[in-house]
Amino acid sequence: MALSCDAYRELAAIVGERYISSKQHILAGNRVKTPEIPFEYHSPDAILLPGSTEEVAAIVKVCNKYGISFIPFVSGVLPDAYANREGTVLIHLKRMNRILEINEEDRYAVIEPGVRHVQLYPEVRKRGLSYTAASVGPGGSVLANFTSTSGDHHTQYGTSRANRYLLSVEMVTPEGEILRTGSLPSGCGWFCPDGPGPGLRSIVRGYFGSHGQLGIITKAAIGLEACKGPAEYRTEGISPHHRVIFDSDLSRVYVFNYDNIQKVCDAMLALGEAEVCSTVQKYFYLPLTLLMTDSANDFWKKWTGGYKEAMSMPLVVHIAAQSLREREYEEKILFDVVRETGGVRLPEELENWWSEHMDFFMVVSRLQSVLRLGGGWMPLKLGADSVQHVCDVGQSIGEYIYEFTETGKIFDAPENYQIIPMEYGHFAHIELLFMWDRTNPAAMKGVGEFRARSRQEDLRRHFHAEDLGCLNPTMEELGPLYSNCHIWMRKIKESFDPNDVANPML
Amino acid sequence: MANLADFRYTMESCNHCGQCKWILPAKMKGWDFASICPLHEYHGFDAYSGQGLVQIAKERLDGKLDYGDGLETLLHTCTACGACDINCKSVRDMEVLDTIYALREDCAKAGYLPEPLRRTAENVEETHNIYGEPHAERFSWLPPDFKNDTEADTALFVGCSAYRHPEIPLAAIRILRAGGVKFKLLYEDEWCCGASLWRSGQREAAEKLISRNVDTFHRHGIKTLITACAECFGAFCGGYPRFSDTGGLEFRHISQVAAKLIAKGSLPLKKGENPLRVAYHDPCMLGRLSEKYVPWNGKIRPFGLHVPEKQWRRGEHGVYEEPRAVLRALEGVTLCEMTRNFEQALCCGANARDVDAEFAAWTAAERRREAKASGAEAVVSCCPFCQDALGGEGENPLPYLDLAVLLADRLREEA
Repeated sequence: MALSCDAYRELAAIVGERYISSKQHILAGNRVKTPEIPFEYHSPDAILLPGSTEEVAAIVKVCNKYGISFIPFVSGVLPDAYANREGTVLIHLKRMNRILEINEEDRYAVIEPGVRHVQLYPEVRKRGLSYTAASVGPGGSVLANFTSTSGDHHTQYGTSRANRYLLSVEMVTPEGEILRTGSLPSGCGWFCPDGPGPGLRSIVRGYFGSHGQLGIITKAAIGLEACKGPAEYRTEGISPHHRVIFDSDLSRVYVFNYDNIQKVCDAMLALGEAEVCSTVQKYFYLPLTLLMTDSANDFWKKWTGGYKEAMSMPLVVHIAAQSLREREYEEKILFDVVRETGGVRLPEELENWWSEHMDFFMVVSRLQSVLRLGGGWMPLKLGADSVQHVCDVGQSIGEYIYEFTETGKIFDAPENYQIIPMEYGHFAHIELLFMWDRTNPAAMKGVGEFRARSRQEDLRRHFHAEDLGCLNPTMEELGPLYSNCHIWMRKIKESFDPNDVANPML
Repeated sequence: MANLADFRYTMESCNHCGQCKWILPAKMKGWDFASICPLHEYHGFDAYSGQGLVQIAKERLDGKLDYGDGLETLLHTCTACGACDINCKSVRDMEVLDTIYALREDCAKAGYLPEPLRRTAENVEETHNIYGEPHAERFSWLPPDFKNDTEADTALFVGCSAYRHPEIPLAAIRILRAGGVKFKLLYEDEWCCGASLWRSGQREAAEKLISRNVDTFHRHGIKTLITACAECFGAFCGGYPRFSDTGGLEFRHISQVAAKLIAKGSLPLKKGENPLRVAYHDPCMLGRLSEKYVPWNGKIRPFGLHVPEKQWRRGEHGVYEEPRAVLRALEGVTLCEMTRNFEQALCCGANARDVDAEFAAWTAAERRREAKASGAEAVVSCCPFCQDALGGEGENPLPYLDLAVLLADRLREEA
């Protein structure tokens, strides 16, 4: 369904002819399909590149007037950002890319949606600050990280989930009204999410992220943390064998292997209790190997040549200290905990790779190499609960994944889940990453089957591990597990978006 | 060259992570200078990026997209600088740039080659240079007393740019002579290197010209070919093996030769009159795109296993260090590094001039802005096309210096 001439003309009048297109080859750039995702994609009718909140609001009003669905878009890493019904326009927020403020005293940054991790992270780091940069690659939108998705990643051990760092926001509601939340409308600045003023964080963002369903957030303040380590780092070498040089006396990485998840759980809880270390995670063993390889062929050599067994259940620990004494103190506790819980330190040649690539822990470098096996990839679960609970979830995966690995539908890596303790182990995030071969039709079909099975198993066991997401069928299925929150989510959506135009998911 | 179908794996592997548009995380420095794709930065729509072009290629391969509504212009506005390709390949096993080349070939076959590129091809066919200048004048800049060493097995390939920038081959000649390198010129037997043909997807014309050139080099008994043009150098290393067996031929850029001569103490250098802070701009075809192309005709098995194993061109072994070594050897010259340097260098935009002059000018101005931000008083490079772009008029003006010319000016009189 093409846009009507009137609608196109009104939209073009808002952004200017340069920043709107309905040409097929331009639309093709955002007609990206992730074929294994079980909902139907459509071509957007137009793509717009607004330059301001006012332009976004005007576009949204035109969309409501003509019944056009709209999807806010920045990097497009997630499948939620593509047209999922006919009569949709993409509102590409790329041009709204200013860092409006970095407040060192109150530790927050105010950003527009087009600011990427690769841009904000070094700027805050120069000021001795940091934030939880989601595992999406350098081009991911920082704002979307904090507002629209779960936004979790592997350096949150000493911090918390992304939703806890969202402060005041400016947004355009699904009907085109400009709304400011938290301390902002009271003229008190951006520092507070809950007032004085309307505290709508839980509504506009929620636990799993809004995915653009409640309008378009055009400015947001995010909380920052103090960071340990250098304000700027030096990089040597040419990609892909470049290295970030850290002060090795104050930064160390250790990798230990365990023979069962309960021991890993005990180690995580003990380290959290002592509040030591900068990163603690039970990492995916398949990506662990992938990160250390130069090509898929190199991966296969290493995976079948002993890496799989050597790192079958790895606990990765990064220590970043302010002083030598602090590092030694943390190391002493770490080694005591590992000894008591039965961990085995990796051979030097394997562990050294991590010591030489500590940027992975700082800036989530190189992460996309986990996609090296052809791009068939999907994270599951993505929920959070106590460390013990998510470890039990991890333990359960092995009981049903074999049906899929043994039939070749998904990659044979049953322990390929990560657990990230947060707030020093007060709770933890779990992510099951599974991969398949995109050239295998049976595997493509198996993706949906495995997703459904994973949900069913969690429901059966009353596990709080699955992300409710934003697809209606998934919400209906999992909502009862989360106090029927899907009913409230739907009511809120209907109130904010009576015309059902803001990223209406199936 | 290859067909679109050869790159289906790349098309279906892309997870639109955006690494083709942004600097590598480990090399990021701040908000500014973070984009590595000038096409995407300027035009905004994702279709104008490596990711977008790969998606377009897939739709074209599947018969879902036609030329004629501007796609052909978009495709050739891309400078094919390869930044998307190299950054993608820092983490993935995908061929982004080769997919773009295959799409260009598809575009040419469909009869939609933009007019300026068609004209260039006609020039090469008729006059053996991209400008349509008389072939007889290719070496008209050469001093009359120049004596050719016809016995040498090394040749200096001056390239078409000699018509526009004769000071560059003259400088190269001075450097080689000063360093005692025996070489010869090919005179009327030297034709265009063919870069503009193969990079614009004109397979048959490129194949014909490149085969002819390789035969000529062999006929002249050449073992080593030196050039002062990054475009020619990148074509020899990354393009020629796609069409012809270049076995027995070694290709060297003048910066590599000069760096070696300097390291050996074979070039007597004098001090410059004034201190100078310069930023070195890595030409795409000398840096990330100059690795040797090794043909691969294998199969991709499940989960990305390439059989037989493929030799990837990830940009790691380009010519980065030698030009910097030359600059460091020049007393009084201080090298300032830009944020986007080495394999992350931003393209100068030259290759887009014929199709989208406004975008090309913006790209050059953006690169000069970055050079200025590094504290440089001048930008140095070693590619005549980069010279046209960066040394041309436009915003953020900054003096441009060719590396070979700068070095030749520093040779002592006796050299």
